[in-house]
Amino acid sequence: MPAIEVSGVTKRFGSTLAVDDLSFTVDRGHITAFLGPNGAGKTTTLRILLGLVNATGGTATIDGKPYGALEDPVGTVGAVLDGGMFHPGRSGRNHLRGVARAAGVSDARVDELLELVALADAADRRAGGYSLGMRQRLGLATALLGDPEVLVLDEPANGLDPQGIRWLRDFLRTLAGEGRAVLVSSHVLAEVAQTADEVVVIAHGKSVAQAPLSELTARSGGGMRVAGPDAARLGDQLRAGGAEVHADGERAILVRGRSGEEIGRVIAAGGIVISELAPAGSSLEEIFFELTGAEGGPS
Amino acid sequence: MSRALSAELFKLRTTRTSWAVVLGSIGLVVLISVLAATTGSFSVTDDAGRDLLEIAGLVQLFALVLGILAIATEFRHGTITPSLLAVPDRTRLVLAKLICALIAGALLGLAAAALCAVIALPILSARDAGTGSDSTTIINLILGNTAACALFAGLGVGLGALIRNQVGAIIGALGYLFVVEPLLGVIPGFDDVVQKWFPGGASNEAAGTSGLDDPLGQIPGGLVLAAYAAVFLVAGIVMIRRRDVSA
Repeated sequence: MPAIEVSGVTKRFGSTLAVDDLSFTVDRGHITAFLGPNGAGKTTTLRILLGLVNATGGTATIDGKPYGALEDPVGTVGAVLDGGMFHPGRSGRNHLRGVARAAGVSDARVDELLELVALADAADRRAGGYSLGMRQRLGLATALLGDPEVLVLDEPANGLDPQGIRWLRDFLRTLAGEGRAVLVSSHVLAEVAQTADEVVVIAHGKSVAQAPLSELTARSGGGMRVAGPDAARLGDQLRAGGAEVHADGERAILVRGRSGEEIGRVIAAGGIVISELAPAGSSLEEIFFELTGAEGGPS
Repeated sequence: MSRALSAELFKLRTTRTSWAVVLGSIGLVVLISVLAATTGSFSVTDDAGRDLLEIAGLVQLFALVLGILAIATEFRHGTITPSLLAVPDRTRLVLAKLICALIAGALLGLAAAALCAVIALPILSARDAGTGSDSTTIINLILGNTAACALFAGLGVGLGALIRNQVGAIIGALGYLFVVEPLLGVIPGFDDVVQKWFPGGASNEAAGTSGLDDPLGQIPGGLVLAAYAAVFLVAGIVMIRRRDVSA
């Protein structure tokens, strides 16, 4: 049984179809990225999964049960959702203790988590004065209170600085390495490219792709990029040999239908000088735009 | 349920707002009691003890606010999300808040009335002004204020669940009690009904501070107020179960 199973979930807000017959699964031991542009329905889907928003149709289950039917929700699923989840006047420690009481978790575990997310020093200050990074870490600590096997994080890297993002990435890796299922939503591809094993891409509430990240990258078939002073001459020779060649600027070409080795042989035979030969593989961004039909501009 | 309740009691006592409402209202009652007891002029025939204990009735409004805050604050700051993640059954969450509010309201009402009695009555006897009330009356007034505060806090939880907007719920509730109900109460022929059967009137009945010559009595008054609280709670639970929590 997959850790998370979203099956045919639909959500309608008035006349807007926010999520449209969406299905995907998340397995244990993997980080699954839930990708889509802003407004694609990611947050709504996660909130449906967590029993906060009622689906118009379909089912979303964790360990085969809807969230509300879990016997020990905090011990099964940990979630970090967008937006302020803290009372600004309550200290970080007391925020955690409040949730811990509701979940039957000890205060000792609260202190342990404050250490883990490096908030021990700020724990007794009012959460309203926390930086964005501290809030995200407090959110993570809240999610981990019950030592859950499933983690759901909505845009956890939002507002984190590069160090924070790296910390988060390593942290999620460790959690997945321990056999937990991790579902992370994001609209920023760069974050995901180095973290995720699986990718679920949605656009306008619909799933447009679900595949291992490597497969998705390979799908692009971007060809080889060759640069150098003789790039144009090489291009002519390759074209004559039946390869598809496009100019890529003044001193570079993009070759499709030839492997790197094949191109290398042509270079050697022709005594051609080049400075660079590398797989182009259209960037994940391009695949993303292609899949989601999003424009490059601000949305 | 005991875990959810323990979490609610913890959350209530870990914000400044709760303490400001509780200590501020009790402080106000103490201040007014001292001023009234020391400066008021009472004739022997006056029911001075009863008049002074009515001052404690002020905290009923604050108890109502406390009940509203217990739930509306969660929506205001988005803490409803972690609360529901820990207690996904929304009915259970509201009931835990209800029990918490009943306890907090009762303690507030009891503390205010008892302090009022402990401060005002000795001052009256020191001034040789008779209290005009026997100890049974005094105890009934203290218990009445306790019950009225608990019920108002419970009603506040229902109202908060129904309206969810903190400012809207508080302004609505106080506007009703201070403006709407007093205005309805001046309609000739209707005034008696309002003062017995409407929420503000019922709370006065429950507290034993009704100004009517033929009051309903404290227990029937308390039952009327409890019925209002129950209506708001049921409506609040139905709505909170139905609505999406998206912030």
